[in-house]
Amino acid sequence: MGAAPQQASPDQRVADFRKIFSRAESEVARVIVGHREIVRKLLTALFCGGHILIEGVPGLGKTLMVKAASETLGLSFKRIQFTPDLMPSDIIGTQVLTESDGHREFQFKPGPIFAHMVLGDEINRATPKTQSAVLEAMEEHQVTVFGNTYVLDPPYIVLATQNPIELEGTYPLPEAQMDRFIFKVVMGSPKPDELREILNRTTGTAQNKIQPLFEPARAAQAIENLKALVREVMVAEPLERYIISVIGGCTPGGPGAIPEVSQYLRFGPSPRGAQALILCAKVNALLAGRVSVSYDDIDDAIVPCLRHRLLLNFQAEAESVTAESILEQVIKRLKKPRT
Amino acid sequence: MENPVETIGAASARIARLAAIRVMLCAVAPALTAIALGLFLEPIGELTWTRYGYALAPGRESLLSLGLIGAGFVVMLAGLVMAFRAYRRDHDFLAAAAELDDRLECDQQIVTFATLANPASLDSGRARRTPLFPVLWRRAIALFGGLDVRQEFRLEVGEPLKRSSMLAGVVALAMVLATLGLVRAPTPEDREAAKLRAIAEMIAKTSTDADDAALAGKIREAADALENPKLPPEEKKKRIEDAMREAKHAAEKRNNNEAGKNQAAGKSAAQSGKGNGKSQGQGTSSGTGSGQGKSGTGAGQNAGGNNPGPGKGGSGNNSGKNQGGNASAKNDKNDQNKSNASNIQLQNELAKAEAQVETANAKNPGPDSTPGNEQKQSGANKPGDKTDQNKTGSQLDPNKAGDMPKPGANGNRNIPSAGGGNPKDNRDMGSNMGDTHLGEMPTSTNAQRFLKPGEKGSTVDIKDARYVMFRLPGAAASSGNGGKTVLDSDRPTATTAYVNAPLAPTSDDAPPDERQLVPPRYRDMIH
Repeated sequence: MGAAPQQASPDQRVADFRKIFSRAESEVARVIVGHREIVRKLLTALFCGGHILIEGVPGLGKTLMVKAASETLGLSFKRIQFTPDLMPSDIIGTQVLTESDGHREFQFKPGPIFAHMVLGDEINRATPKTQSAVLEAMEEHQVTVFGNTYVLDPPYIVLATQNPIELEGTYPLPEAQMDRFIFKVVMGSPKPDELREILNRTTGTAQNKIQPLFEPARAAQAIENLKALVREVMVAEPLERYIISVIGGCTPGGPGAIPEVSQYLRFGPSPRGAQALILCAKVNALLAGRVSVSYDDIDDAIVPCLRHRLLLNFQAEAESVTAESILEQVIKRLKKPRT
Repeated sequence: MENPVETIGAASARIARLAAIRVMLCAVAPALTAIALGLFLEPIGELTWTRYGYALAPGRESLLSLGLIGAGFVVMLAGLVMAFRAYRRDHDFLAAAAELDDRLECDQQIVTFATLANPASLDSGRARRTPLFPVLWRRAIALFGGLDVRQEFRLEVGEPLKRSSMLAGVVALAMVLATLGLVRAPTPEDREAAKLRAIAEMIAKTSTDADDAALAGKIREAADALENPKLPPEEKKKRIEDAMREAKHAAEKRNNNEAGKNQAAGKSAAQSGKGNGKSQGQGTSSGTGSGQGKSGTGAGQNAGGNNPGPGKGGSGNNSGKNQGGNASAKNDKNDQNKSNASNIQLQNELAKAEAQVETANAKNPGPDSTPGNEQKQSGANKPGDKTDQNKTGSQLDPNKAGDMPKPGANGNRNIPSAGGGNPKDNRDMGSNMGDTHLGEMPTSTNAQRFLKPGEKGSTVDIKDARYVMFRLPGAAASSGNGGKTVLDSDRPTATTAYVNAPLAPTSDDAPPDERQLVPPRYRDMIH
């Protein structure tokens, strides 16, 4: 199956998007048991042009999930295991002195960051210097080595994982860097039925082969077309105001901030949060078969888009107040403008 | 296929109209209630506070009535303004789209469409459109398929009417509270003023004559003066006297007119009755005069019969021929009777009003009224003036029975004459017959008293009296210009102080009563 061409009618493009998304979910589900919501978020982040932070203990299938997704979409995949001694050049690449035809010259040898899908495993174990090298690539979609800038091929998505345990000797991502991820999803342990299915699939002889949706040569362009379609989804002015009010409502001292926000938060979401909300809501609208965003689309996107952008204060941690609970209160209390 | 922009526009107009109607409905009931209460305040008053003896001062009543009517119109006007504002406010393309979106459950697709296709901001909408806009347009057409805006947005009158009735209740309550604040028990002067006003209304209604209109105006002025507590009594009396003069003037004029008519009628009757009888009737009596000049028997009916003047009535020979004259004369007589009666009633009420003013003045003497003056004006006895206690009016001997009204002498003098006559003769010549409806207030001159036990004398003759006015022993005689209550010194007074009678003495030595009452059901068992 190829990507929907640009010349196709808008209705056809919308229908193709839904079909591709649905098939991608199904293909990933061939190798990943459960975690459908995380797979959905992964694909959503890909079509939004964002990056995703997956938090979970080791052994839950994070790497397998990303690998399966890249294989399904026909995109290149690289994995980086972050360690404290990992250097930025190990990720970005470096200049290597080479000799050809009697001439010696430095030649850029790209690092593992040059791929469509990059899995940064346990990103919080690397030093901030190394982390920032990745984060520059995430934001700018380019890297600079010895004054030379190298553009990363689109589509480009970084899937970073973070281990919530064994935090000694780690470097938790600073808030500014957390803000660059469109979503933060929490991967939980599989349910018993899911675990049994995992055992059946991984310990037997049967092998589940993934059928790629796109040919590798056309995959990037197809994905880019779908990303363009997402951006064409329309948002009414009242809904834009609602998104703004959500951001204001989550900002301590902001306009319309609810009491819990002022009580438990140090900082609220940045404008990147609003961008993430709109893009995610647009994908949700397309998945619902609409070409315009609804309030439900926005509400569904609020928690995954904003929870890692809220900085809790000491009181919130002492009282075990989570960012999710605050966001749910915000959704409940904010009025949705009609016009 | 209908243009979805037009559908939203039609919905917007419909919503705006309904909003305006709802607002107007809210305002209609209180406005109509206020106007109706203002218009029917008088009958409402007759059914409520007037019935229980309270009154609203006419000035206040008219003010309240006008206030209610004005408030009604103001509410109506405010309703119109608010309806216009509601129309302007709700005539909103985006709001109508939002409403349609909610009703059709379109997940903000209609709102988004309206944002991008709003005729009011077409340029900015076009700039925001994407290649997917045609999809949205087709979606809107599909969503509006079969939508009837008139059916979708119906006028629901229940809620506005409920609100409206509540507001009407508030208006009615306000009116009740205002009335409670303004209503008061009427003073005798107020009652007289009300009567005078009623007479003035009757005169103004039944007559188109300029003199009558002037009379009605004078009466109203007198009534207003009577009710005005700030006006000095002299001024009040002056107004009343003005009205009385006007009434007398009107009565004289009317009687003159009637006399002229009677003369003409008498002449014609005499002409047709020539030959069979000379009917010369020269009535000179007051009030019962048959009219001067020649008249037929029909035109010269003397009702009273107390005619001291030389009058020779014509014989009845020509009575049959004078039927026409009789008929017209009878009609005239009826009219005149009515007008005379009303005039007399008017004069009577004016006299009463004057008396009320004097009474009030006597009770609350102002800086001008000295005790001596009061004594002179009222003619009432001083408290403690024992020589006057048993004296009633002109009766000198207290043991003697009072003067009796003599039938024929004074009794019929105030009966309105049927045949006209000199209006001056119709006036009460200073006497009264105890009939307040026939001229003036009863005075002490014809008052009689009952005999004391053991007293001998002629009994009270009330045979021809229409009214008998009783006076309690403690009240002193009045001169007719109002009375004054004095202390009753004849009343027996207690010589010893009233104390409780002592209880019968009790003795501790007395044996206790050992008898026990047997319950009734056991009594038969005891032998």
